[in-house]
Amino acid sequence: MTAQTLQKPRKRRRRSEALVAYSFLAPYMFIFLTFTVFAIGYAVYLSFTKYNLLRPPEWWGLEGWKRVLQDDLFLTKALPNTFKYVLIVVPVQTVLSLILAFAMDQKLRFRRFFRTIYYLPSVTSSVVISLIFIWMFSPQGVINQLFRLNINWLNDVRTAFPTIMMVNIFTTTGTLMLIFLAGLQDIPTTLYEAAAIDGANKIQSLLYVTIPMLRPVIFFVMTTGVIGCFQVFDQIYVMTNGGPLNSTTTVAYVIYKWAFRDTTIKMGQAAVVAIILTMIIMAVTFLQRRIIEGSGSAEK
Amino acid sequence: MKKIYFVMSIFVLLSLLLASCATTEAEPVIETVIKTVEVPVIETVEVTVIETQEVIVEVPAEQVEIRLSGWASSPSETALLESLLYRFSVENPDILVRYEPITGDYWQSLLTMIASGTEPDVFYMDIFQFPAYAQEGVLLPLDDLMAGTGTSTGDFIPALMNAFTYEDAVYGIPKDFNTLGLFYNKDMFDAAGLAYPTDDWTWDDLRAAAEALTDLSNPDRPIYGLGVPSDPGRFPIFVFQNGGSIMNADFSDTLLDSTEAVGAGEFYTAFRTDQVGATPADVGEGWQGTVFGKGQFAMVYEGGWLIPYLNDQFPNINYDVVVPPAGPGGEGNMIFTVSWSATVNCQHPEEAWRVIEFLTNEASQTTVLESGFALPSRISLQDSEYLANNPASAAIFRGAFNGAIPFMWGVVGSDVNNFMGQAIERVYLEGALVADSFAQAAADIRAAIEASR
Repeated sequence: MTAQTLQKPRKRRRRSEALVAYSFLAPYMFIFLTFTVFAIGYAVYLSFTKYNLLRPPEWWGLEGWKRVLQDDLFLTKALPNTFKYVLIVVPVQTVLSLILAFAMDQKLRFRRFFRTIYYLPSVTSSVVISLIFIWMFSPQGVINQLFRLNINWLNDVRTAFPTIMMVNIFTTTGTLMLIFLAGLQDIPTTLYEAAAIDGANKIQSLLYVTIPMLRPVIFFVMTTGVIGCFQVFDQIYVMTNGGPLNSTTTVAYVIYKWAFRDTTIKMGQAAVVAIILTMIIMAVTFLQRRIIEGSGSAEK
Repeated sequence: MKKIYFVMSIFVLLSLLLASCATTEAEPVIETVIKTVEVPVIETVEVTVIETQEVIVEVPAEQVEIRLSGWASSPSETALLESLLYRFSVENPDILVRYEPITGDYWQSLLTMIASGTEPDVFYMDIFQFPAYAQEGVLLPLDDLMAGTGTSTGDFIPALMNAFTYEDAVYGIPKDFNTLGLFYNKDMFDAAGLAYPTDDWTWDDLRAAAEALTDLSNPDRPIYGLGVPSDPGRFPIFVFQNGGSIMNADFSDTLLDSTEAVGAGEFYTAFRTDQVGATPADVGEGWQGTVFGKGQFAMVYEGGWLIPYLNDQFPNINYDVVVPPAGPGGEGNMIFTVSWSATVNCQHPEEAWRVIEFLTNEASQTTVLESGFALPSRISLQDSEYLANNPASAAIFRGAFNGAIPFMWGVVGSDVNNFMGQAIERVYLEGALVADSFAQAAADIRAAIEASR
């Protein structure tokens, strides 16, 4: 009897606490449900339809999927280009920003000045940076003048994509450096002292103290990098529009092209590609987690 | 306390000064536009006062609302449309026109509005996009409404009217148009000792002039005779001039691998291959209009839109325009045109039609013509004083008559453009043979047509 009377108000209190929590969550949940969950669900539905926006969607079954999986532009240009982009940009920007973070972590002169400079591209609009790069890499631009070259960077099948990769590396490295820097400063100095007492030299303490301690940060940087690179769009939209000869067409650009740019709108097939892209990103992220967190000693 | 007031008053004075500076800086072009608006303002005040008194008694709240949209290409063009709509509201107090210009991607916005059933009643329709909209039955057929007000299709330039006719029904009234003309830099012709082009020029004259005008002695500022971009909005006229076409009559097949098209491709790409022509990208620009203004291309094929651009950006350039030189198959040109169309879901088709009718009537078209933005679609204006005084615009206007074909390749238009542009790019960037490259483009286009069925 007494136990019951004691439990009831506790239960009630717990329930009312939960209610308060949910009511705090409600505004966000409403937005999340309509603009994320519903939108994703609708995209899945659209992927099984034929839809050109002018006429209501028409059930098409797997026809859209079949066509996408036979599409030359998607299979021979967009997919390989996107993977190439991820495989080059993610390692380069991660290593580069890690090196920069190490440098900025030392007691350098003008350290703050350099930190600000390196971070500047990240706070600038990617469209503006793309435009600046268009000028720099134009045939009569700075790059050609400086190195006495005569290359039409953005209109050459061999150089257009690497140029766009450079733009992205240039923009993101600053942010990643900042994240690494925060990670580096989080490592307690006691660990380095202990390593030094055990006779570790600089390189050993880097390999066996710094890198393992940075593992969660590296995972975060690589994951967001991979996700961002798979979705690369704005630089391509501004700089090349997927050309020359589709050499810079990526998966995200194909989605845009099919969904809004063509005169024959293929919303259903664009939705298929969007879902495929999501699945690829999820699979790669999962794999990454396995590799980075699985190797070496588990953290928790 | 007094100090604060003093400082504040100085700030106020300063801001007033600054504001007055800003107003004096306004361009004279904008001022004239404002003046044309001001006159009807006086009229409206009088008229609306009278109307509201009467309307309230007879048909209360019967003002029909018509939503009208278009892209907003320039502030002065928007001001022009607004002044026309103002005049309309004076003459038609029972219709309230709500102008909703779309900035950014017009087609993306229009498509999503149609998909969600919130499209405007009256909107711009570009000829290039027209086939898909007409085929899907999104547009309102205008024939009966035209008969109601006695508007005849014969009043408009036939090529324009035919462009917006689908399966014998009219789905848009052309509001203006453009064709391509050969823009040439007079000073460069003088320097090379060449006679100016005429309307009777042929491909041979064009080629000879391009060779004579090219000067590559300064590697930092090469000068080319002719701009030959891999632009599907320029190249097709060479196919027409060679007696060919891009698509067959009912757009069910492409003719890009025909001997006429391949021959045109060989003639066109040879300018760049032989270094007497170049693409704008070759000299680091996105558009050949800029290159022409800078004097690095002596001749370019462009539309009337280049005229205000040159006036604005390169006022010192000494140029003129002729109709494109004829090829072995005669003259050929392309028509770029935009219509006023209405949605099939329009609640008040009669009123929507009155808006379209007003915007394309002779008085409105004259205003548009005199503003210098675009060429009028009405035949009756071809002898207008404005065209007599503006030979460059007149050359673009003339271009619509000698077998000009609308810039439109059926529902797969964007695919045709893509593959045609790539066919030329393959020749330019990879040294592919024109015949092979065009054959591949034709195969790609056929696959796209197949997929669209």
